[in-house]
Amino acid sequence: MYLTSNGLASSAPPAPRAVRQETQSTMSKVPLRDAAAPGRVKHWVDPSFSDLPEKSFSAPGRRKASQSLGSRPEQKRQKKKGLEVGSGQLLPDDQDEPWVERYSPRTQAELAVHKKKIEEVENWIRAHTDTPKGGILILTGPSGCGKTATVQVLSTELGVRVQEWTNPSAPEPFSSTKHDWKTNGFSSQLGQFQEFLLRAHKYNCLKMKGDAGATEKKLVLVEDFPNQFYRQPGSLHAILRHFVRSSRCPLLFVVSDSPSGNGSFRSLFPRELQEELGIACISFNPVAPTTMMKVLNSILAQEAGRSCRGMSRPDQTALESLCSGSSGDVRSAINSLQFLCLPEPSLEKESPWPKQKAAPPQGRRAPALTNQRMKRCKRGKEQEDLPAVGGRDVSLVLFRALGKVLHCKREHPSGAEAAEDASAPGLPDHLLRHHRSALLINPELVVERSHMSGDMFNLYLYQNYLDFFSEMEDVVRASEYLSDADLLTAEWSSRSTMGDYGSSVATRGLLHSNSHQVSVGFRPLHKPSWLLVSKQHRDNCLAARSLFADFCLTPLSLQTQLVPYLAKLVNPLRSQAQISFIQDVGQMSLRRPPGRLKLETLTDKDTGPQEEEDGEEEEGEAEGEVLLEDEDMMIEEYTSD
Amino acid sequence: MSLWVDKYRPTSLGKLDYHKEQAAQLKNLVQCGDFPHLLVYGPSGAGKKTRIMCLLRELYGAGVEKLRIEHQTIVAPSKKKIEINTIASNYHLEVNPSDAGNQDRVVIQELIKTVAQSQQIQSSTQREFKVVLLTEVDRLTKDAQHALRRTMEKYMGTCRLILCSTSTSKVIDPIRSRCLAVRVPLPSPEEVCSVLTSACKKEGLLLPPELAKKISEKSGRNLRKALLMCEACRVQQYPFSVDQEVPEADWEVYLRETANAIVSQQSPQRLLEVRARLYELLTHCIPPDIIMKGLVKELLNNCDGQLKTEVAHMAAHYEHRLQLGSKAIFHLEAFVAKFMAVYKKFMEDGLDAMMF
Repeated sequence: MYLTSNGLASSAPPAPRAVRQETQSTMSKVPLRDAAAPGRVKHWVDPSFSDLPEKSFSAPGRRKASQSLGSRPEQKRQKKKGLEVGSGQLLPDDQDEPWVERYSPRTQAELAVHKKKIEEVENWIRAHTDTPKGGILILTGPSGCGKTATVQVLSTELGVRVQEWTNPSAPEPFSSTKHDWKTNGFSSQLGQFQEFLLRAHKYNCLKMKGDAGATEKKLVLVEDFPNQFYRQPGSLHAILRHFVRSSRCPLLFVVSDSPSGNGSFRSLFPRELQEELGIACISFNPVAPTTMMKVLNSILAQEAGRSCRGMSRPDQTALESLCSGSSGDVRSAINSLQFLCLPEPSLEKESPWPKQKAAPPQGRRAPALTNQRMKRCKRGKEQEDLPAVGGRDVSLVLFRALGKVLHCKREHPSGAEAAEDASAPGLPDHLLRHHRSALLINPELVVERSHMSGDMFNLYLYQNYLDFFSEMEDVVRASEYLSDADLLTAEWSSRSTMGDYGSSVATRGLLHSNSHQVSVGFRPLHKPSWLLVSKQHRDNCLAARSLFADFCLTPLSLQTQLVPYLAKLVNPLRSQAQISFIQDVGQMSLRRPPGRLKLETLTDKDTGPQEEEDGEEEEGEAEGEVLLEDEDMMIEEYTSD
Repeated sequence: MSLWVDKYRPTSLGKLDYHKEQAAQLKNLVQCGDFPHLLVYGPSGAGKKTRIMCLLRELYGAGVEKLRIEHQTIVAPSKKKIEINTIASNYHLEVNPSDAGNQDRVVIQELIKTVAQSQQIQSSTQREFKVVLLTEVDRLTKDAQHALRRTMEKYMGTCRLILCSTSTSKVIDPIRSRCLAVRVPLPSPEEVCSVLTSACKKEGLLLPPELAKKISEKSGRNLRKALLMCEACRVQQYPFSVDQEVPEADWEVYLRETANAIVSQQSPQRLLEVRARLYELLTHCIPPDIIMKGLVKELLNNCDGQLKTEVAHMAAHYEHRLQLGSKAIFHLEAFVAKFMAVYKKFMEDGLDAMMF
């Protein structure tokens, strides 16, 4: 009996509760058999499901519950239509079910996604399921912003059958012979994926009995990419090309991109491919706090209606910080909401949620503070006392992180504060010009949240800072700080420790030197061109050295004397490569304004991944450079003593 | 058709055009059949390499002119493969160890060892030593220089080193003391003129002395540059005219324009333009320190006397940072910004002084 219940427990939905149940049942296996009923055992861990009906532990009851899993959506819908969820209609698997699933959206209105986005996706699906010609759509966005939910809701509403690809966990049963394994199993993932795509659009579903209103409309959904594609995106591209040529039903990819992610989206679907195959791409934004609040509140209301016993309802401030802490991830917000609402039988004093802590200081000090102070206070709270539960690392999009440093937001000293400042020991007269009002941001935190190395961040700052300065004096100081920052991180052996200081010097230096904080309005930000320039410089130097090796010159005289003058001579050169190199590098167009470098504008969407790659590359190169420069330094050291 | 620089390069010590006394001394040095390690130094375009090749020819005969370029792969103790190009004849080996970056020590040790360990086959008819020619010695790491010093002593029997560098300041003392230092100064303007005229004569051209003088001035007595300029003049216009414009390298003109842009306006917007120009120079293979040097030279032309010291000081400060740091553009721009500010202030003060 125990064994069966154990086995069934693991087949229950993967809620944390299931794990606890399992441990408990194995624990109770150790004592004598007569300690069978869990209620009688002295538990180390207080079972959170002790309030469940006893029969749910017995095999038949469980089985019934798991059987009902299959038809749950229908039940749900009925419940929905019946307006109120009857509190008496308590299902045995009630507590086990994560709220994320229980309250997953069923209608468009319930989706925590912007109307326009839903409409966009809906239009696409409509357009592509009506015609037999298929297409490809990619949904991107941070995790938990409702991509999959949107697809599911829309597919049920539009009556489209979704066929989803899931990675096969074990490609072949172990019983198969070695030969089989080699022939079938080995190429499996890729082959299977290809076959899946082929079959999915070729064959219709079997019409099953009771499968009322089964439609011919179909949609292939891929959320789970075979691992092979991450290593060799080319194979995916080949399959997609083939698919586009022969497809008859739309294909939908759901890719979540995270700022700290590995940039899989860009490698899987490079821009060229998107253009080539006419792939549509809709990117979702993180869920807005207000929307999230609405969702959480409605869940709470429903939950309160369902079960009135033993639910601790978090107060509004807790909800607010939950919303802000989850950084637009509905899934994690709901999960942590469920956790918060757990009935706490004995843990009353050490609540996982800093309820009492969060509220009072604000209330107590509020009257004494100006409005802005309070805001800052709140901000500080958000930043430092990240909730113990459900707090995700808040990340800043690079665009906004740069903006925070470059726009240099400071407090406007109001009357009360000015008086306060005057009473405090101020700067001596000769340093008064260095006085600044308090910053509204913490530069180190901004850098940290930009998911980027300090070095890279400095490069971005460098690329963009000039637009935000108006005074030459300020520019001098800013550029000096940037130069300092570079100097700090120059030594590769200490770079890991000095990197933070470098970025700190750069950001704070920029902030401080921007003394005339004029509001400049919107300025486009650009990606740093230095990476490209230094790469070209190095490549060109290497090319020069290898192409003109037979002139037996040192690199310096080769680059500054021979190549530029070769451009002016009609000396027949030996190879095409040399000619084109000279035309490219030896000549400089004097008339044309320097426009070779196209500035790549940084958009709101652009986050770490791509730059991350560049960064790594640059890191290695920079190390080489540093090593080269290192030698100069060492020799200088020597001659100086 | 090869370049004039290569075509009219003297091939024996006797045919050298200038510093004849030094040539004679070098001749005497090799006459007796042996010579110590040499450290040949002098500015770029003075003829160091030419002199060394003449010396080798004097030593081994025409065989040294049969050069072959070899691509060698050396495995460092850390199992890292280093690829390096060498230029070799049967008697000598030329290598630029600084191509290998910070692994130059391994290159020096391995290459010299392989060369030095093999004895000459016919020692009766030839010298009993080979020559290894190292270029750009001043860019060697300190490690490599110390390795070099051991190697020099160890293989003295079978191998002579000729080191070639632009200055001795970055060569460590122990090496300097183990070598016979030979300084090759730049030719005087007259010598440059005579070389140019004779080259033109061999080419069948008539070079007016005024133009020759102009070229020698423009080239800064760098003979390689002067010959390249002269050839470029020939392409530009023949017969030569006296007031012919001497073509300069594009990057030099570009750099001058950049300096003018800095002087004509001082604002963040202008700095942004200058940055784009600096990027352009860098992509055209101009090393950052050369850019810095050229920029300072051009800027100083526009400066008042009392500003010059300050600008030079600033330039030294940022050039040093340029050498230490990893992102050259930061320091270049910081210098330009600083110059702009200083210059702007100077001009404003000057205006104020004129007003009152």
